Amino acid sequence: MNSTKERRQPVHRKLRFTNEDLWGYIFIAAAMIIFCVFTLYPVISAVYTSFFNYKPFGSEYVGLKNYVDTLKYSKFNLFYKAAFNTLVYTAVVVPLSLLLSFSIAVMILPFKKKTQSVFKAMYYLPGIASGVALSVVWLWLYDSSPEGIFNRLLGVFGISPQNWLSSTKTSMLSLIIMALLSSHGVRIITYIAALLGIDNSYFEAAELDGATFFQKVRYIVWPLVKPTTLFLLITGVIGSFQVFMNAYMMTGGGPDNSTTMIGLLIYNNAFVYGKYGLACAQAILLAIAIAIMSLFQFRVMGVDVEY
Amino acid sequence: MKKLLALMLACLMIVGLFAGSAMAESEKEDTIVIMAPPVTGNYLENLKTWAADFHELHPNLTVEIIETSWGDHNDKLSTMAQAGEAPDIAEISSNALGTYVEMGVAIDIAKYMDADRLADYDANALKYLSLEGTTYGLPLYLTIQSIGANKTMMTELGIDVAKIQQEGWTYEEFLETIKTGTKDGCYGFIFANSGVTASDMLYIFGAGVGLSNTFTDDLKYTFTSENMLTLLSAVEEMTQSGYMPNFGVEAGQRMVMCQTGNAMIFGKAMPLFEANFKKNNAALEANDGTAVENSLPMDYAFLPVPTMMGCAEACYGTVDGLIAMRNKGTTDEHLENVLLFMDYICSGDRIAACMNDLYLDPVCQSGRDALVLPEGRDADNLATAARCIAMVQAPPEGVTAEMTATAKKLMDEQIVPKFQLLLAGETTAQEVYDHICEAAYASFGAENCVSGKLG
Repeated sequence: MNSTKERRQPVHRKLRFTNEDLWGYIFIAAAMIIFCVFTLYPVISAVYTSFFNYKPFGSEYVGLKNYVDTLKYSKFNLFYKAAFNTLVYTAVVVPLSLLLSFSIAVMILPFKKKTQSVFKAMYYLPGIASGVALSVVWLWLYDSSPEGIFNRLLGVFGISPQNWLSSTKTSMLSLIIMALLSSHGVRIITYIAALLGIDNSYFEAAELDGATFFQKVRYIVWPLVKPTTLFLLITGVIGSFQVFMNAYMMTGGGPDNSTTMIGLLIYNNAFVYGKYGLACAQAILLAIAIAIMSLFQFRVMGVDVEY
Repeated sequence: MKKLLALMLACLMIVGLFAGSAMAESEKEDTIVIMAPPVTGNYLENLKTWAADFHELHPNLTVEIIETSWGDHNDKLSTMAQAGEAPDIAEISSNALGTYVEMGVAIDIAKYMDADRLADYDANALKYLSLEGTTYGLPLYLTIQSIGANKTMMTELGIDVAKIQQEGWTYEEFLETIKTGTKDGCYGFIFANSGVTASDMLYIFGAGVGLSNTFTDDLKYTFTSENMLTLLSAVEEMTQSGYMPNFGVEAGQRMVMCQTGNAMIFGKAMPLFEANFKKNNAALEANDGTAVENSLPMDYAFLPVPTMMGCAEACYGTVDGLIAMRNKGTTDEHLENVLLFMDYICSGDRIAACMNDLYLDPVCQSGRDALVLPEGRDADNLATAARCIAMVQAPPEGVTAEMTATAKKLMDEQIVPKFQLLLAGETTAQEVYDHICEAAYASFGAENCVSGKLG
């Protein structure tokens, strides 16, 4: 009883900055400074710049003009086409790459630890290669002449050579195939870590009940790796919305702007046409779109996810 | 008397002191920053030597060189300029000038260099680096872009290469020639048109149909003229005929396809390629394993582009040059030093050495005076290059930075993407032309675009 009374009494403690607090702040200072200088300041600066016709010596305040110019619909405004292309790319690449990574992780899991490590290293390897080097290899694979690697492969099945990167019919598909086949490492390793965390007793019980392999995947594995899937989905969508290198190196956005992504559009406006203000406005709109998408995914998929 | 002498000496001392400080003021230490890509294989090494020589001539001036690759030069320059930290001197293509003028970082160089030194440079080349009557840079070279060919193969097929080089040819003659050159496993003509390089074909073949410049002398946009439709129709005919591939050819493939006998004529080509062919022939003869795989020995011919619609023969050319740029520390005195160095490396022996590497003629009198042609260059190619340089038409006066920037955006975002479709055989010349007209009218207004035939 006494103890309850003591708890209910208001605590009149003086707020004092102790030596311990000081050390705490010192320890987080490095991270905070880096965050402020390299993340917070650029974001604030981008928001500020988006209201100007930016020039290094004397920018001109233009209010919301850059946002209006971006969103004003016209047959010749590339923003909507780029947004559509980015959406298509994201909608295909993210689910397929998750499914592929999950399947590969499930297939790798039954192997011994050493064999697992070999597979993990093999799948992770493309991730450490530079995007430019990867693109050069893919350009070679997509050589549109009849002597191109993929075209020769199609020839074996009697299919005529394809104009991979120069036709609207195959340009987006080419970028999607490239994304699907060259960026699995992190996802596979994350999935394997999640799979290893599942208690073996679930599988033993399922085996006693006579569950098949696919039933175990469907009713045990998939629900238990859902938090991992949600994490990979959100980071995948964010990464996919920001895609730039593939389009820049492989197609330059063509043909007929069929592979122009938002990231490439922002880059061109900033660095090719020198329109920093417009590029900043488009980058802010992209950030807002990504934030809304992430929130939506948390709402829809995160309902039954426990952390 | 002693007092008078002492007073005179003291006065002399004071005058000397002031004179000394004034001299020190005019010879204040200064550092000039230049950013350049490897304009030629030897350019950056030569630049270091020229900077050292310049420092010997002007001990108070030091030159700092920022070396870039062609791949990152433009991005790096644009980023530095936007941050107000542009180098004092930078290499640019004349096509990019409008962007830097609009940005407010390009400097009117006429204010900071002697008029007689500026007069050393060809007016035609200076026009490329001028906008609205203001000159922003000095030309390094006027590069001509046209088509090249396997001369050996053409001669074997009975085609009079020398006549084409000396007198030019029409599109009909060109089409007949590439038809003759098309055989099993060999295209009569290929052009590197994959991705953004597609615009090269429009510019280079455009010269033969009166589209040498984006604007007419009365500042109307030219790509909406009937000449453009003729050009597009010719490209459509070439791809559909099978004399030219309808798949994207990468820039690196074009010369290799010619050297391996898979193509007879190729574009884009420059006089400089003669060196590549000679090098490959030597490697084949030496059999040292450095020659292009499966390549054949052959001579190179630099050819003019064919003419269409009865237009006068012309050649597409651009000027690459050095521009002076404003940054946070720019002062008038500093700019005078900057122009002193810029003029030094764009003229005389320096530019003559550079032009010999590029197989081009200098675009300044002092460069021409210093030029000593190396031995062994093909006389026909040399004469053709000189003839083509003379046919390059400089942009008209009065074009604004805004007009240049709008035209560039129109080309990149509307014309090239549709042209890529035409090359892939997914649309017609008429549809592309209609789209170009619609987009140009929206950007410039119909009244500022050419309708009907140009000229």
